[in-house]
Amino acid sequence: MKTLFHRAWVLYLIALIFLCGVGILSYTFLTNADSWAMKRSNRHIFKSGNLVTAGTITDESGVVLAESSDGKRTYHKSKDIRTATLHIVGDAQGYIASGVQTSYNGVLTGYNLIDGVYGLKKYGKGSDIQLTVNAELCATAYNALGNNKGTVGVYNYKTGEIVCVVSKPSYDIQNKPTENINNDTKGVYDGVYLNRFFSGVYTPGSTFKVITSACAIDNIANIDSQTFKCTGEYSVDGNSVKCMSVHGSINFEQALNQSCNSAFARIAIELGSEKLNATTAQLGFGKRYKVGNVTLARSSFDLTGASDLEIGWAGVGQHKTRVNPCHMMMIIGAIANGGSSPQPYFIKSVTSPTGNRSETKSGVMLEQMINPATADKLADMLRSNVKNSYGDGKFPSLEMCGKTGTAEVSSEEGGAAPHAWFVGFSQKENFPYAIVVVVENGGGGSSVAIPVANKTMQKTAQLFAK
Amino acid sequence: MSKKKTTKSNAQTKKRKFRYRKPVNWFFLLLLITVFQVFCAAQILLNSAKEIVPATIFIVFGSYILAEWVYFLVFAGFLRRKSFEVELIAFFLTGIGLALTTSVYPDRAYTQLIAVFLGIGVFIVLLWILGDIDRVIKLRIPVAVLSIGALIFTLIFAKEINGARNWIIIGNNLMSIQTSEIIKIAFVFVGAATLENLQTTKILTKYIIFSVAVIGFLFIMKDFGTALIFFFTFVIIAFLRSGDIKTIFLILAGALMGGIGVLTFKPYVANRFATYRHIWEYADDKGYQQVRLLIYSVSGGLFGLGLGNGKLRYIYAATEDLAFGMVCEEFGMIIAFTVLLTFVALVVYSIRYSVAARSSFYSIAACAASSLLLFQTALHVFGVTDLLPWTGVTLPFISRGGSSMMCCWGLVALIKAVDVKTYKRYDKMVRSDKE
Repeated sequence: MKTLFHRAWVLYLIALIFLCGVGILSYTFLTNADSWAMKRSNRHIFKSGNLVTAGTITDESGVVLAESSDGKRTYHKSKDIRTATLHIVGDAQGYIASGVQTSYNGVLTGYNLIDGVYGLKKYGKGSDIQLTVNAELCATAYNALGNNKGTVGVYNYKTGEIVCVVSKPSYDIQNKPTENINNDTKGVYDGVYLNRFFSGVYTPGSTFKVITSACAIDNIANIDSQTFKCTGEYSVDGNSVKCMSVHGSINFEQALNQSCNSAFARIAIELGSEKLNATTAQLGFGKRYKVGNVTLARSSFDLTGASDLEIGWAGVGQHKTRVNPCHMMMIIGAIANGGSSPQPYFIKSVTSPTGNRSETKSGVMLEQMINPATADKLADMLRSNVKNSYGDGKFPSLEMCGKTGTAEVSSEEGGAAPHAWFVGFSQKENFPYAIVVVVENGGGGSSVAIPVANKTMQKTAQLFAK
Repeated sequence: MSKKKTTKSNAQTKKRKFRYRKPVNWFFLLLLITVFQVFCAAQILLNSAKEIVPATIFIVFGSYILAEWVYFLVFAGFLRRKSFEVELIAFFLTGIGLALTTSVYPDRAYTQLIAVFLGIGVFIVLLWILGDIDRVIKLRIPVAVLSIGALIFTLIFAKEINGARNWIIIGNNLMSIQTSEIIKIAFVFVGAATLENLQTTKILTKYIIFSVAVIGFLFIMKDFGTALIFFFTFVIIAFLRSGDIKTIFLILAGALMGGIGVLTFKPYVANRFATYRHIWEYADDKGYQQVRLLIYSVSGGLFGLGLGNGKLRYIYAATEDLAFGMVCEEFGMIIAFTVLLTFVALVVYSIRYSVAARSSFYSIAACAASSLLLFQTALHVFGVTDLLPWTGVTLPFISRGGSSMMCCWGLVALIKAVDVKTYKRYDKMVRSDKE
């Protein structure tokens, strides 16, 4: 039996391989449990693929936006509010990936690996979620967009609380126009399941001049004493970067006030791709930001192999540059807040079925984006934009700083109208809020985006100014 | 030379270390198992969605718990046997299976209970047969012949269920027998018994022919999972008797080529594995059961939702092919992973007691039987969770089914027989030997 015993190592080996298998199995369970449990075919949680029993979602002021009762998921009674908050609340089928009902379904249903769905069985729901957004404000912003597609976002640049997120087109979740969405040939429902604020990217147009300015202030010592001559275009190697008008002889601040393409193309070319790349990297281009459980679409700035002409165009926010609206809001927030933005968030608090309430930490600063002196100078220039160019009358009693943008999206004459942008913030001590507005194919930034921004900011001030 | 010497002295030290182990406190463990089973019965009573007669639960669990205690009282109290690790594991696992069946199919609870009793019966009878080595040697050839006969009979008269042609239906669905399950015991028995006088190559050749025949028949029946289990057992037995790793590699290489050949020429075999590592892409098609198993396994959490509260039970073949998931969801992952570890414990037990075995027959039989159970568990658990291709084999002791219950308890007898303490007279001899 001794010899036989020596051969027993093979059995130990088999047992060891088996134990390794058990280890791998535990690991796959551990890493995949959340996503497996949240599959739509899990009938503990979903009924025919619909989220039915889950926690209540309320807005900042406690207004119920979604709740479960009698085996049904119901939403706010007003159609306007349901439509405006669709993207942040999310749908029950999970089409809107960034919506709370999908991105936080683990919290709402109380699923975790330790207890499984036991809590859901016991309490009939998971945790309740209170959002930082205000439903009424969302409705105002949504209506302000009129018939255009686009997005509006507002946050407190001291704390990071997102108080308004809307994305258009949207639909009424209580009466989903499934037929129309599926047979949509005119593009009415283009990207209806996308929350443009978190998941969209747009050509930034002139709003990008703020970033070019940041780079110039840091890298060109005499930028303020330079004068720029605008003849309606800036010639580069036999071609030219076109400007909206003939600005004549202007200085740096005036160039930003009047959004002069010639001046900024010249500045961009002078800075060169290396410095522009460094600044945009510092500002978080190419980075994957997370806002709670939602990952933002990545902003991109790409000058690989770009000619001087292309660098010129990139300097005025054209070329291949793409920006995510929420990211743009964070950059503006950083300018308002001395160079760094707080981590934006939209979950105010989570309350477990047993009554334990946990609040999201507010005012957590992200990495420094801009050095403080530059940020303050930019803030002054943005204030000068509103004061000297758009007029404070456009934003009564808000002390707004900001920049418009008109992003060309079609190179053809008579092609799609440009995207209208506005990014800005209020300098009022008691009202530290920053806003981003994108109106898709809306036309000029100042004529289209500013009114939307004003309506939204006035409502925000009414609700939040102390 | 010197190398040989050291290994020898190692063996001696190990021998001393392992021979006389303190037997586990069976009374305490059995009490724990009983409490666990009473809890199961209570949960079924409280949670069952289907209408279930409380009397059924009382009778099923009452008689099962009674059987456990009677067994222990007779063997430990009356016959003064020691060492009950193997039975404790078997009773624990069987109890889980019985609870699942009773909860999901209350109308089949009695059938399963009878299967359990038959299994325990097979265990006791087999244990008695194994007590006498001469009897074992005499039975070797008849068992081999009977096994082949049974397989041929199955091949001719069997009914195809779920693509595998391995079910014998008696009467009008009164009883169904899966021949391949019963033959597992015979396979290990014959394999180990042949070793008793293995020096003649003639006997070795006969065993190889026997193995090839059995595995071949299973292939024809399209029961690939079981064929794989037999092949694995064959390799283990071949290695334990020859100790020749080169031969084993040769066998494996041959099998691999044969396997590739089969996959190439019989596309329907490959087709069975088409969803391997792609089950989520076939979530509502071929991967339906496996996807549900994963979803509901993690839904149970560490402590389970409780018997009767799961959703996996409504999926086809939940208590058979998906038994592991049922345990995860309703009993929780702690118990599910404990179940997996008990099979490892059976292997370790066999190895340790092999050292002191009376004859190499017992060592080989125990090692082969326990590793067969472990291998089958691996195929079931890792197969259904998509870590390995899914062959649809059952989870020993826990999956519902009479034939497999008898097979498992039969294999337990083979494991149990290796321990000299199982048979009183040998135990005495060994002990006086020591003194």
